[in-house]
Order: sequence, then structure tokens, then C-alpha cells
Amino acid sequence: MDSNTQSSHKSDGFFRSALAFGGYSGYAAIILFIIGGVWLGGMLPPLLNASDSPAQVVAKVSDNLFAIQIGSIFLIASFALFGSFGAGMAMQVRRYETTPGWSYIQLIFTAAGTTLALIVAFAWALMVFRPETYHPSIVLMWADLAYFIALFSVPVFGGWCVMVALSIFFAEEGNEPFPRWAGYLNLWMVLLFAPGQMIMFFKEGPFAWHGLIAMYLPFIAFFIWIGVMSHLMIKIAKEESE
Amino acid sequence: MSGTSRPRAQVPGEIGIWAFVAGDLLVFSVFFILIAFGQKEMTDVFSTSRESLNLYFGLCNTLLLLTGSWFVAIGVERCRDGQGSDNARWFKLAIGCGLAFVLNKIFEWEAKIGAGFTPLTNDFFMYFFIFTGIHLLHVVVGVVVLIFLLKVSQRPTLNSRDIRTLESGGIFWHLVDLLWIMLFALLYLL
Repeated sequence: MDSNTQSSHKSDGFFRSALAFGGYSGYAAIILFIIGGVWLGGMLPPLLNASDSPAQVVAKVSDNLFAIQIGSIFLIASFALFGSFGAGMAMQVRRYETTPGWSYIQLIFTAAGTTLALIVAFAWALMVFRPETYHPSIVLMWADLAYFIALFSVPVFGGWCVMVALSIFFAEEGNEPFPRWAGYLNLWMVLLFAPGQMIMFFKEGPFAWHGLIAMYLPFIAFFIWIGVMSHLMIKIAKEESE
Repeated sequence: MSGTSRPRAQVPGEIGIWAFVAGDLLVFSVFFILIAFGQKEMTDVFSTSRESLNLYFGLCNTLLLLTGSWFVAIGVERCRDGQGSDNARWFKLAIGCGLAFVLNKIFEWEAKIGAGFTPLTNDFFMYFFIFTGIHLLHVVVGVVVLIFLLKVSQRPTLNSRDIRTLESGGIFWHLVDLLWIMLFALLYLL
């Protein structure tokens, strides 16, 4: 994106505020996840282990019950903001289309990704709702469900990145909604998310849902992606207001 | 072709594709380190498992990718310099190499699974199936990229954007090649 892009796509303050809101939503989602998922919730680094027995899961969850419960509230707030974050990117793409196309596809992926992320938070919250009453294997299943939805959904979250990348690469030369390097970044993200599908086959090691390659890599990459794309949206909104 | 009048760029492609290459190499470096650690920690398991691999499958795939890279390099060079009238054939040949790699890999996996080796057999086969699987995903994406390059190369005139697209796509295919050579050495030869 160059200076011509800026001049040929003057925006009103109303739009700029919405675009910046999309960007700040992304930042907020990261902060809320750090509080709810990293600090309190035990999602990353994982408190639980895919090879834990149901009894071990119940013991760990019970020992950290209140922190995870509070963390779940932050988690669902974080994941809900994926909606406005994704809509912000789609809005920016829409401005560069004569007839809507990529922006609509992005919106569908945004909706699907947000919905899945919300289910992750629901599963995490139900895991700590009444572990003393549920059968231990059900508590384990809530944990499995949360990580499976988060990590096994590569076609949804990876597809979302591909759609952002394609909307950049297929844009008119010098008139891209985001810088071209962001297109490559989005494609790289797909490769980082891809090992998440390996959790189906392993309960131990780097490819299990608590492992380095299948869990840490996609999770960290996803929030870095949100951070970078949020930064770009806010930057565009600020530049256009000057 | 207008490619002849384009000033020769010092670095092919664009900065984004090189950042992508660096990022992908970074991730694969982690994979390579994991294999090396496995080799160190479970030398016997890795050595025994490696012996059960068919070196010819790996060698054949290495030759296919190297040959494919050569075809891509010729195709991109000829398009950039405005030489020849049927540069698309080089991309067709490279696509053929890519598809042959996929087919060969499927036969190799089928033979291994048929012989009772799966990702759950031991750590060596876990790395073998998963890392070659992730690489196979790269090959499939690379073939799609080559099909796109084929279409670009068939345009009557190529502008600077087309040349950049060809160079960037070519760089990705060379990356696929490079990653395989590392995997081949670590999984088949070490």
C-alpha cells in the first residue's frame, strides 16, 4: 500500500473510528486472553496434559477452580472480540472492491472463527462449573473439546488467513487494502496453524494438545497475527485522519 | 515481451516472499532440531527405524524436486528475459515433477503403513509421517502456485507485476526443494 492508496481512498471519520475499533478489539482480545488464558485460566501454558487421567484432570482443575472460573470470563470476552477484529479487516477490504467479494468471504470466516472460539470458552467454563459432580471423564472431555475446537479447526482459522492474503494479492497493483508483506504473513500463519491437526493422533509429545508444535506454535502465532493485523488497521485509520 | 525492458531487480521477487521463506525455515529449523534431539536420545530406535525406509523412494523424490526446480528456474529466466514463445512448457514439466512427488510419497506411505509402521509406532515414525506430511502440504500448495505461474506465463505480454509473481512463485518452489533436501538428509541418510 502506498501514498496513492491513501489519497484514492479517503474515508470519513465514522469509518475510521470503526476501523480503529476493529484494531483495538484485536489488542483487547490479546490482553484479555493473556489475563484469562495465560495468567488465570491455565490454557497456555497448559495446566492440563493430554495424557492425564480423568482423576488427574479433576484434581488439577479442582486445585485451581476459582482462578479458572474467573479466567473463563476473561476468555469469553477475549474471543467475542474476534468478531469486531475480523469485521474491521473485512471493512478495509470492502473499500477496495467495486463489487463485494473477498470481504464477504472474510466475514463468513470471521463469523465461523468467532463462533468456534466462543465454544472453546464455553467448554473451558463448563470444565470448572461442577467438576465434583460430573463424572471425571466428562471433565476431561470438556478439556479435550476446548483444545480440539481451538487447534483442530485449521481450515477455519487458516482459511481466514488465506482469505485475507488473497484479498491482498488479487488487489490492483499499488492499491492493496493491506501491505503485500501482510499477505505473506497471513500465508505463513496457515503453516504455523497446520500442525494443530496432529492432536488427533497423539496424547504425548510435541503433537499432543499440550505440545510444543501442535499447541504452543498455533496459539502464539494466532495472537501475533491478531496483533499485527490490529496494528495495521489502527495505522491506516490514523494515517487517513491526518 | 515487456519483460525485456524491465530493469533487472537485484533481489528476485519481493521482500514479503523472502520474509515468508525466512519464517518457514525458522519453523522447519525447530522440526530439524526435534529430529536431531530424537536421534541423540533414541539412537537405536532411530537407526533401526531408518533402516526400514526405502532409500530409493527418498532419492527419487529428491531428484524429482531438484529437476522441478531446474525447470522452474529456466521458465522464470526465459519469461524474465523475454526469450522463447512457449515458456509455459517449463512450468508444465515442473508441475509434472510435483505431481510425481505426491504420487511417490503416497506409494511410500502406503507401503510403510502396509508394513505396520504408523505415526504411533515410535518417535522416528512420528517425525517421519508428520514432517514429511507437512512438507507434502508445501508441495501441494507449490503445485497450485505452479499452475498459477503457468497461467501467468501464457499471457501475451508480461509486465513487471507478472515477472514479480513468477519470481516469487519460483522462490516458493525452491523453498519446497530446500526443505525436502534437509528432511531427506535427516530422515533417510543420517
